[in-house]
Amino acid sequence: MRPVTRAQPLALALTFAFALAACGSDPEPPTEQITVSEPGAAQTAPAAATAPEVAATDPVAAGKAAFAVCTACHSAEPGAAAGIGPNLAGVVGRKAGTLEGFAYSEAMKASAITWNEAELDTYLTLPAARVPGTKMTFAGVSDPAKRAAIIAYLASITG
Amino acid sequence: MDNTDTLKPQRSRAAKWTRRGFIGAGVLTGGALLIGVGVRPGNPVGRLGPIVAGGEGEQLINSWLKIDADNIATAIVPHCEMGQGAHSALAQMLADELDADWSLVRVMQAPADGNYIVTDTARLFVAPGTLGAPDWLEPTWNGLFTNIGRLADAMITGGSSSVRSTGQHTMRIAGAAARHMLVAAAAESWGVPAGEITTANSMLRHAASGKSAPYAQFAAAAAGQAMPQTPPLKQPRAYRLMGTDAPRLDIPAKVDGSASFGIDATVPDQQLSYAAVRRVPVPGTRVTAMDAEQARAMPGVLQILNMGDFLAVVADGYWQAQQALDTITAEYSPAESTIRSSADQYARFTAALDAAGDSGGDEAASHGDAVGAFASAATKLEAEYRTPYLAHAPLEPMNATAWVREGKCDIWTSTQVPLMARTAAARATGLSTDDVTLHHPLLGGGFGRRLETDYVTMAARIGAATGYPVKMIWSREEDTQKGVFRPADISRFKGGLDPDGRLVAYDNAFTQRHDPPGAFDCPFYDIPDKSIRVAEAEILLPFASLRSVDHGQQGFFIESFIDEAAHAAGKDPVEFRLALLGRSPRHKAVLEKVAAMADWGTTAEGHGKGVALVESFGTIVAEVVEVDMTSGSPRLVTVWCAADPGFAVNPDGFCSQMEGGIVYGLTAALYGEISLRDGAVEQSNFHDYKMLRMDECPAIAVEIINGDHVTLGGAGEPGLPPVAPALANAIFAVSGRRLREMPFAKQFS
Amino acid sequence: MVSFTINGKPTTVDADPSMPILWVVRERLGMTGTKFGCGIAQCGACTVHLDGQPIRSCSTPLSEAEGRAITTIEGIAGPDGELSRIQQAWISEQVPQCGYCQSGQIMAATALLRDNPRPTDDEIDAAMAGNICRCGTYVRIRRAIKVAAGIEATASGEAA
Repeated sequence: MRPVTRAQPLALALTFAFALAACGSDPEPPTEQITVSEPGAAQTAPAAATAPEVAATDPVAAGKAAFAVCTACHSAEPGAAAGIGPNLAGVVGRKAGTLEGFAYSEAMKASAITWNEAELDTYLTLPAARVPGTKMTFAGVSDPAKRAAIIAYLASITG
Repeated sequence: MDNTDTLKPQRSRAAKWTRRGFIGAGVLTGGALLIGVGVRPGNPVGRLGPIVAGGEGEQLINSWLKIDADNIATAIVPHCEMGQGAHSALAQMLADELDADWSLVRVMQAPADGNYIVTDTARLFVAPGTLGAPDWLEPTWNGLFTNIGRLADAMITGGSSSVRSTGQHTMRIAGAAARHMLVAAAAESWGVPAGEITTANSMLRHAASGKSAPYAQFAAAAAGQAMPQTPPLKQPRAYRLMGTDAPRLDIPAKVDGSASFGIDATVPDQQLSYAAVRRVPVPGTRVTAMDAEQARAMPGVLQILNMGDFLAVVADGYWQAQQALDTITAEYSPAESTIRSSADQYARFTAALDAAGDSGGDEAASHGDAVGAFASAATKLEAEYRTPYLAHAPLEPMNATAWVREGKCDIWTSTQVPLMARTAAARATGLSTDDVTLHHPLLGGGFGRRLETDYVTMAARIGAATGYPVKMIWSREEDTQKGVFRPADISRFKGGLDPDGRLVAYDNAFTQRHDPPGAFDCPFYDIPDKSIRVAEAEILLPFASLRSVDHGQQGFFIESFIDEAAHAAGKDPVEFRLALLGRSPRHKAVLEKVAAMADWGTTAEGHGKGVALVESFGTIVAEVVEVDMTSGSPRLVTVWCAADPGFAVNPDGFCSQMEGGIVYGLTAALYGEISLRDGAVEQSNFHDYKMLRMDECPAIAVEIINGDHVTLGGAGEPGLPPVAPALANAIFAVSGRRLREMPFAKQFS
Repeated sequence: MVSFTINGKPTTVDADPSMPILWVVRERLGMTGTKFGCGIAQCGACTVHLDGQPIRSCSTPLSEAEGRAITTIEGIAGPDGELSRIQQAWISEQVPQCGYCQSGQIMAATALLRDNPRPTDDEIDAAMAGNICRCGTYVRIRRAIKVAAGIEATASGEAA
């Protein structure tokens, strides 16, 4: 076998100079452009249009709407996979930190909580205060009506 | 040797040289004489002054230094600051030669301007033989490489090269030349011989006459003096700042929230709009249809764009844009590649290696007769290792702000290649580079990801479509799934030991060879018969350099195999390596140092220690990892690191880079895996592309050996390569289980 | 309209109440020290305090701030601008590399030391495990927290 020598330096210099000359391209405009509004003239989100408001009549429906802020991390569909947080279908009545396949914090596993309406209400007010060390970094739901609605929604789903 | 089937497409090779290839040289071959391009022919002050020294009372002395009326010396640094400390370290080198007071030194990011290409980096790689040129030839080489550098947009931060190239060969010379010019100006004014004037702490003094003055007093006169092209530089014993832990100048702004990154850009006097983007899921495919009915009715939405290779929603806030984008459904053209899964990808590698067989492929390095030596070896061993794709995952997601209007374009972005980013924006908008201004603030991590300009092109195209200023931000999911990646690979080894247990035959083949040159080899080990071959194979995901580049996987392959050879020989892994280092005294010293630090030979019950030694980017690093396996899965206890970078300009900063490289390498070793399903990346965010966290981080101890004051090594990358093999070797030591595939953690669950 | 205080200053914002606090702070209020890293409360770069509790502002809707106090990295220095003990320790131990995660790290450490002035190593690790640093400054963060707590002298030997 023969020893291997590296490419000659000046050949390399030419190579990279050449590369630049060779790779020009024309600008590529959009294939489809939908203009809805102009900056400044855009409608600012009217609060009522998108905010999940609590309806007085049906707490489960109101809770489902309020649960929207939880869905970044949790699914409440029975049988759905865990996300950032565990699946919450059937959480009411479950012992904390016991859903198989989810890596709970040690704090949650050691909490000895069984989730009922009162425990969920305390926890959702300020999670880190009820279970210090929980992985759930959510700030909590300060509105008691909204908490009640979310809990009603969770209670309506069986795991 | 038959290597006809292994030529790479010319285009990929050429494109690579324009990025990082030419700065990736392993060890820079400098002579004893330091020559550089700190000072370019012609006086730059008139041309550059208005660009970089337009402030009240500021005087540009040369391209790299300005001094103001308050005697503040500002180093104008052509490299980017992405956490590696280059801004401060380069200022430290200039300030030492200038005899400046560190408390009076500041740093300015050099603008994205052709005058600030890193010529010496290009020169050191392309033609190291021009170092040590006679003075009269210096302007010629200087001019030639300046022109080459301009053609290549060579303003690059990568390859752990800032200190060892621009620092050694530009900033020091610029500082020394400026000091010489200040002295000359004072000598004229005071009517005394220049040789009698001394400098210290940003002051000029003439002892005999009792005269003294701050540098500021002679800044203007100095700028008019002739510039020496090869001023004498300090010998190490005269260093006052180099070799000290001068506090980093960028840190105070990083503890009070005032540091500005690309994502924090504002456009003066303009309202910003925001874009969220979704690229096609499979590389090379196109959007064939889009349904945006729901998105167009959502609050704050301004425009919806189908750009062919990506979708964008522009809105009056990023969150509104992302919410609207999430409602858009699209259809895509079929994928070109038949690689659909990680198994397909590995099958390509296996097929290429099988085709190359025992002697095929492109010969990368060889001496002696590896095949013959293996055939006659007393003990034989074979092993195959594999590593997955990796994403860089800098914590600042890809982003760029573009304002395209009236034949002009301004771009604000975090980039390691500001001139290439400017060129990318020019191409995307159809403008000339002179009409594009590229603003590049601090980077929230680079790691090689920001050597690519794909995201700048996207922002410029969005800006051209809208005509008003738009800040494009990638979601973390886009960043994890749709970018550019460290390629997966498989590497096969055969080794032969002689009857004394010495490694005499070494045969290795793998499929991925990118940068730096020679990363596949371990020439410091004295192995008589060696053959290293590349059997190139298609990779699905677009390539990018990732911190330590090829050394990341090659370090794991080579140092795992060396460890297996040591155990096959029945020898202690440190003793086995030391026996191979007879011709490499610096490597031997580093290995002995780390063994002493780690109290090698002692191990707690249930714990294991493993060692690895890698030279990369000119720095020799040995690491020992201690792992606790008592729970059945690996828990990191301590990493000891000994490193010889030649000379550590800022020892604390160097240690910080070793710590960072080790943590980055441990994340890859334990968790790092980008896998494919249906041609797309499976992972999406930090819950499934895991990072090492504080509670898993071992204690880290670093010691430095300064083994060569002239030819320096890098800092940003060399800490990484040894840590994965050292961990694998530690796990083997305690459990007898040999890990030949990264990442490790999932193999214990 | 949602009203709250930010770094002590009463503020009212007209925005979608489900918009995460992160984007309100960065885009509406122009305070960019709080960073976007992951959008799903995994990395901690967006950590701010809500009534003193560290929260992930990328996943906390603006509606949660109604009537409450937000504190960001821009609000933890003293009224005269003097850096907090933790910020000073971050400088003395030369903690930041790229610096992008450090606002979040400092906010997490500030809450830790307020509630637990002399944390053990395990307590530090547990409190800081929600904050990713991609540059790998963890060993220095640990040291800086101990320096700020008065448990350890600075690496350079000076008192913090």
